[in-house]
Amino acid sequence: MAGFLLKRLLQALFVMVAVTLIVAFAIRLTGDPALMLTQGSAAVTEADLERIREALGLNQPFFVQYLSFLRGLVSLDFGRSFIGGTPVSQLIAKALPATLSLALSSMLIAIALSVPLGIKAAVARGKWADQLIRICSLAGLSFPNFWLATMMVLVFSITLGWLPPSGMSGFSSLIMPAVTMGVILTATNVRLVRTAMLETLQAQYIMVARAKGLGERAVLYKHGLRNCAIPLITWFGLQFGALIGGIVVVERVFNWPGLGTLAFDAVAARDYPVLQAVITVLSLLIIAVNLVVDIAYGLIDPRVRVR
Amino acid sequence: MSRTSDKTQRKGAPTHFRTLEFTLGLLFVGVMGLAVLFSGIVFPDGGEKIDLTARLLPPFTHGTHSLGTDPLGRDVLARIVTGGKISLEVGLLSVAGAVTVGVVVGMMSGYYRGLCDMIVMRLVDIQLALPFILLAITVIAIFGGSLSHTIILLIVSQWVQYARLVRGLVIALRERDFIQQAQAIGVGDVKLLFSHLLPNLIGPVIVLMTLNIANNILLESSLTFLGLGIDPTIPSWGGMLAQGRTYLQNAWWIAVFPGLAIMVTVLGFNLLGDWLRDRLDPTGTTLR
Amino acid sequence: MKNGFLNCFRGLLATGLWLAAASLAHAGGTLTVSSAQDPGSWDPVDTYLVAWAAVATNLYDGLTYRQPDGRLVAGLATSWETLDGGKRIRFHLRQGVTFHDGEPFNARAVKFTFERLLGDQGSKGPQKSNYAAIDHVAIIDAFTVDFYLKLIDPVLLTKLAGYGAMIVPPDYIEEHGEDWFNSHPIGTGPFKFVSYEPKVEISLERFEDFWGTKANISRLDYRFIAEPATAVAELQAGRIDLVMPPGVPIGMVGTIKNKPELEVVTAPGPSVYALRFNTARGITRDERVRKAMILGVDRQAIIDSILGGYAAPIASFQSALSFGYDPDLSPLPYDPDLARRLLKQAGIKPGTQLRIDIRNNNASFNEAVQAVAGYLQMIELNATIKLYESNYFLNDIVPQGKTGELFQQAWGGWTFDYDNTAYFMYHTGEKWNPYDRDAKLDKMLESQRMITDRDQRQSALRAIAKYVADHALELPLYNPNEIFGLNRRVHNFTPVPDSRLRLNQVSVD
Repeated sequence: MAGFLLKRLLQALFVMVAVTLIVAFAIRLTGDPALMLTQGSAAVTEADLERIREALGLNQPFFVQYLSFLRGLVSLDFGRSFIGGTPVSQLIAKALPATLSLALSSMLIAIALSVPLGIKAAVARGKWADQLIRICSLAGLSFPNFWLATMMVLVFSITLGWLPPSGMSGFSSLIMPAVTMGVILTATNVRLVRTAMLETLQAQYIMVARAKGLGERAVLYKHGLRNCAIPLITWFGLQFGALIGGIVVVERVFNWPGLGTLAFDAVAARDYPVLQAVITVLSLLIIAVNLVVDIAYGLIDPRVRVR
Repeated sequence: MSRTSDKTQRKGAPTHFRTLEFTLGLLFVGVMGLAVLFSGIVFPDGGEKIDLTARLLPPFTHGTHSLGTDPLGRDVLARIVTGGKISLEVGLLSVAGAVTVGVVVGMMSGYYRGLCDMIVMRLVDIQLALPFILLAITVIAIFGGSLSHTIILLIVSQWVQYARLVRGLVIALRERDFIQQAQAIGVGDVKLLFSHLLPNLIGPVIVLMTLNIANNILLESSLTFLGLGIDPTIPSWGGMLAQGRTYLQNAWWIAVFPGLAIMVTVLGFNLLGDWLRDRLDPTGTTLR
Repeated sequence: MKNGFLNCFRGLLATGLWLAAASLAHAGGTLTVSSAQDPGSWDPVDTYLVAWAAVATNLYDGLTYRQPDGRLVAGLATSWETLDGGKRIRFHLRQGVTFHDGEPFNARAVKFTFERLLGDQGSKGPQKSNYAAIDHVAIIDAFTVDFYLKLIDPVLLTKLAGYGAMIVPPDYIEEHGEDWFNSHPIGTGPFKFVSYEPKVEISLERFEDFWGTKANISRLDYRFIAEPATAVAELQAGRIDLVMPPGVPIGMVGTIKNKPELEVVTAPGPSVYALRFNTARGITRDERVRKAMILGVDRQAIIDSILGGYAAPIASFQSALSFGYDPDLSPLPYDPDLARRLLKQAGIKPGTQLRIDIRNNNASFNEAVQAVAGYLQMIELNATIKLYESNYFLNDIVPQGKTGELFQQAWGGWTFDYDNTAYFMYHTGEKWNPYDRDAKLDKMLESQRMITDRDQRQSALRAIAKYVADHALELPLYNPNEIFGLNRRVHNFTPVPDSRLRLNQVSVD
């Protein structure tokens, strides 16, 4: 077991280094931050640009720059933003909680919607309720998230005036962005819950519980749900990575000051330190979640370790 | 919970109880497919004809522009039908590319294991840890936006899904009797991979493909929305949506109709995928 | 009795004071503005961004000040005179001015500001090169300074009204350090800094000791909103009072106008848009073809329809506000027949392919270029449009000469002087001019810089504009208005042409 853990940790470390290396290399192909800072101004001479590059530390060879990034990473010091010189760790410290709160709330919404719906679909298997639930949840997956976001803003902010159209100001501002992302997860989750529940419902103890004359609700939620909880939680955990990918668009539409917004602006401005830091943090999150899931699987099911 | 248990458990229930899903899915995809196929005949100009004297005409009022016109006076219906070509092209080509790469790599790595497997699995890990949209923004900043770049980007980021799926399946299949027997009687590797293993992989792979076609049509529109898309004169649903968004409150039809088109098509693929999953992959391998 | 009277008087006095205080508070109120971008640092030497200037013009003062109507007036300098044939400028400074933290403004602050800009600190940022004409600043007495110039810069006085030339507090910066100053700016302007949250907002409040017209509103908040549709949604929801350009897309003007409590206010803007021809390769090498393309595109129709009339046609690459603008130079007319004849003369086959390269960040321009492609189609030229990410386009595609037959040129200089534009657009070897090599034009561009006489320089600039138009180096499109979205609770709002909006006159209900 210790060997398996060590192996997985080493692999995660390798992936981490590879991802940061790729990102550091790729963003340096996208163009010169010194030109960005000067906004293509024609009054700027090559000597001016050279001075700016030197101030930003861009004159050093790539590997020197990358190594100093790695060194900083260990002490959580990501350097300073090229745009304005704010320490990147400060920017991340503000944006990470924003993104996490959005990601977690959308997962909660998805779970809150999909568990009852999935159970209902499993129980009503093959009947119209099953079909309706599944077609509707698939419909939720079938339009672009910026489109849903725009429509919700039109209805709930502009027409009804119930919710703020953008920004991060308390609970009310969280609702629309979280629902936008949550709806997309719901379709997949309904299916997961339904499948898991169907399997469980055929198990012997459910028959026993039913035979004992327990109420249907108690059978489903107490015995049924509890027994498919572990695979479900694992699946939900894995969705986290997929969620992060969609967050850029939603954060932009709702002007949510999270990692997605930070990253999008950083690419546009060629703000290497910020982009490197955001991708590193996001990748770390995804790798960590995958690692936890893998290890959990390894603990539950020893066969996985061999794979 | 395979199909046989359906029959035994619910006597009297129709065995093809997913008919509605299948019918709707086929209907949606079929209608859009036919519209796209015949768009060239019905709208020879491809919705590219600009008429500044006929801007923002509302729908259902003009005979020649049944779904209205956009801010440049182009026919919305013609653009939707022609734009479907781009969406389907992106959806189908990207998935085809990703499947080809992913299945081959996945089979190799699952069958031979060893170093090859290790490299592939680390590649998969790396790919899964890189957030797609951020990758897309960076790549398009380097190479510029175009249809082929979008497709390549989608292939690069999605082949790993197939590789991972196929690898897992092959590892499980290798232990099965019929493969062991085939190996024992000296069937060559290539023959074994393609005539014995591949047929057993097709089900889950097709399911994943259908769902990814749907997903990629949406991703293309998201990229266009972020300003990373293709030539704006070529009609595409994502482009029309992004453009129509600012006109939403005074010319709703520019964005609503392409939005509906996306939804119908994507829902069609999703329904088909869901239906197929019940037939071909009841245990849900493709979900993870 | 006596006590009772006194008490009564005290009571009255208290009430009076309370009323006075209440009416003062009533004159206050908060104005919330949306700005498209967070510049990241509020230090004047660090940035070129319009989004910076929009906020900073309320925080800082320059020696000169440019009014919304474009006239240059006294700022922190009350008067100035040019000496030594233009190589030295003497400024007499305003007395009794203090920075927001109480530090006095004087000649030392001016000298410190420019030594900082031209020294090491300035070298790390982009602003320094704009002020390269200044050699050094000498203190004559506490309220008089001399600027010694390396070379004559006809636009220098305007440049002193903005961006890098904003006067900063020496003691404050020395005490708190450069990093602190980036995020806690102090100036002499009508509003002082309260708080700044990166990527979210910056808040300012009225500076009670401002030397000029004190602000009506007590608080001024800027929220950073990148997505125009989102900014307009906030305006509609009543959570934002003013959307700064480029926050209002043309497509949403109608939406704003439909709401009785909102309005759209516009002013002629500084930017100009054109499609530059690739004169080195392809069919656009031929001047007749270039002229045919200009003649073949109905620019007025594009302005009237796609831009909703919120733009002016241009004949040269400058707006009517620009020094060097020539009202007598009119653009080529729309004449598709003549265009076709010219193309035929030049031996261009119908259906010839060509490519237009543009940036991907401007929805209106994007639509306008699609219309251009439509018009070119009508004179039987097949144009495709290629979109590039902005920075890639500006720093690689154009300077390296990798463009198609036509490519976007946009210019939004805030100094309103054609020299700035023309030199960098047409002089051989300049970054924005990858194709043209014209010795005669070079000479015209160089020689006008030596002219100190205003009228002479104006005619020299006009001659350049005419020369460029005659050779059809670009397909001039339009000069768009700056569009502000405004809630009607805001009064006394005067739009400015360059987003450098000072909000001390504005009041809110």
